[in-house]
Amino acid sequence: MKGMTKLLVLFVIGLSLLGTNLVAQEDANAIMKKSHMTYYYAGDDGVAEVKMTLVSSSGKEREREFTMLRLDNEDGGNQMYYTYFKKPSDVARTSFMVHKTDEGNDKRWIYVPAIDLVRPISADDKNSSFVGSDFSYEDVSGRHWTEDTHTMTGESELDGKAVWVIESVPKEGDDSFAKKISYIDQETYLPLKEEYFNDKDEMTRRFSAVEIEEVDGFITMTTRKMEDLDKGSHTIVAFSSIDYNVGLDEDIFTERYLKNPPRQYTN
Amino acid sequence: MRHVTLVVMGLLLIAAAAIPASAEVYVHGFMQGLWGGRLDQDNPTTTEQTASETRMQLRVEHFGDNAEVFGRLDFFWDGADTTRYVWELREGYLKFRLGSNIDVKAGRQVLTWGTGDLIFINDVFAKDYRSFFIGRDDQYLKAPQNALRVEWYPGFGSLSFVWTPRFEPNRLPTGNRLSYYNPIAGGIVGTGIDPMFYFDPPLPEAKFENGEFAARYKRRVGPFAASLYFYKGFYKNPLGMEMVDFGAGPQPVPVYPKLNLYGASLRGAYLGGILWLEGGYYDSREDAEGDDPMMPNSSMVGLAGYERQVATNLTINAQWQVDYLMDYAGFEDGFRDPSTGEIQGFVRDEVRHLLTTRIRQLLKSELVKLEAFLFYSPTDEDAYLRLLAEYKYTDEVTLAAGANIFDGNYASTEFGQFQLNDNIYMKITYGF
Repeated sequence: MKGMTKLLVLFVIGLSLLGTNLVAQEDANAIMKKSHMTYYYAGDDGVAEVKMTLVSSSGKEREREFTMLRLDNEDGGNQMYYTYFKKPSDVARTSFMVHKTDEGNDKRWIYVPAIDLVRPISADDKNSSFVGSDFSYEDVSGRHWTEDTHTMTGESELDGKAVWVIESVPKEGDDSFAKKISYIDQETYLPLKEEYFNDKDEMTRRFSAVEIEEVDGFITMTTRKMEDLDKGSHTIVAFSSIDYNVGLDEDIFTERYLKNPPRQYTN
Repeated sequence: MRHVTLVVMGLLLIAAAAIPASAEVYVHGFMQGLWGGRLDQDNPTTTEQTASETRMQLRVEHFGDNAEVFGRLDFFWDGADTTRYVWELREGYLKFRLGSNIDVKAGRQVLTWGTGDLIFINDVFAKDYRSFFIGRDDQYLKAPQNALRVEWYPGFGSLSFVWTPRFEPNRLPTGNRLSYYNPIAGGIVGTGIDPMFYFDPPLPEAKFENGEFAARYKRRVGPFAASLYFYKGFYKNPLGMEMVDFGAGPQPVPVYPKLNLYGASLRGAYLGGILWLEGGYYDSREDAEGDDPMMPNSSMVGLAGYERQVATNLTINAQWQVDYLMDYAGFEDGFRDPSTGEIQGFVRDEVRHLLTTRIRQLLKSELVKLEAFLFYSPTDEDAYLRLLAEYKYTDEVTLAAGANIFDGNYASTEFGQFQLNDNIYMKITYGF
């Protein structure tokens, strides 16, 4: 009988522990979802001039400049991206298009103007570097929050802002990181810092928000930074001339506009 | 030629005036040095080097919301065979919208369609193999043509029409810098043997009927882009012969035979990679029966290719092309000795197979690119290997080195004929 009571007590304790854990996870999921929506789905569409500065471990700088258009087919769901390169000279006038889907089988196309060539690109590896920078394709267009298991590990303060600290572990083991720790601003829901760890628990990459501003009523991260701690390199991305809800036509995200850039936006 | 260029430039000026002055003019371009040396000592050409040139390319762009003027002008010192300054307007066009769903591009332009990777079935726009074989940038494989392109987007796909009033052939090795197979001489020749082996066949007469007309209908079918193609014009290589009497009796002269081409293609994402299929029927209009030894036979060509990123910075593709020659018996008869009836020399198989693979490795945050492309035909028993190593030293400066290696068991095959043209090259480019 005594043994039975002990077992029952243990069971109840276990259940309650499991319960708190579930609640914490639900919170973490909700926060990550809201963060994702704020960061990647502001407005129904967006246009911005982007300047990427790639800094190597030796301090050598390279620059990429492009116009980026985004259209959300559905909030939190499918999106389309259009990128028109301006710098450097060897990629100037090249355009690039992504149809991003929930299922993760994104479609990508490139147009090479010097030979009038439209080509689909094999998009199997979302961890590939975006134009040689420390950002991956996935960093640019967003990793879906449902791909990871999120756990709240506590609350903290970062640069005077209250943040939630959330640990994310990929559900599928074949990803570029084993664990990610995000520091989400409790006021804006933007990630102020993200630390990526490998399976030896060593930090390999670090993301940080550099500048956050309000644009057209949307809280927007206008400057961000990604460091590759293995290579010793980092990339800074600065957005300017940002416009939301400009009424982008879905047609822009087709082959016709890939070959004929929408000049009203890419100027 | 000069006239067309002048007309194009005139059009550009008019267009420039028509675009609002508030639009900006962008100027870009590059300076480039290219030096190439031979690996074969016994090449029968007149030049020591395969390339020795300094080039400047200027790109000028001016656009408004609905119209664009673009010019790409190359100016270079060519020290390898011609030893002279050369300039070429590679692109000079006006592009504008007509209503809401028609795009027009008029002027000198580079055109591309079809699915193959360095294999072209339905893309019968002009190619420049003289540039391709000596290490010039990939963009130079495409030769420009003076054309009018109209693309219509009616909502159920897209329709493209390209009219090239004056036939634009492929640019093939002339014998000056690169040697080639000459069927009359029966071997690999170049101007080092005799200046008469300079190879520049006459073009079809400049008249309206001799213009080129190409069309494509393209639409999405599930995850694939599906296209239908049509072309009416001429073979881009001088595959035919004509007897011409220059006064000393009839002499065989190479000509561009009439061609109709009907084709289709499919390309899209498949199993984590990109799959493409393409086919075409080459209707040789001057040899409908396939029994004229002076003219090419009709043929059916099919292609299957697949590309996949196998590791983060490593992409590999493979292609298989099958080329089926119609009326093969009639074709083979053209090679029989008139007295003995025996077949002489190498005669291609009825079905020609061509296999290719491209391997591309990016290193050092994509600053270094290593690439190999191999063409191999088991039926022609020949091969062509392209190697390239490229390093982006800064955003402006790119250093490159590469090689073009040809091999073949017979002198008359597609790549075998270039087997004495093996070369290595170095290139430095400054972009602005």
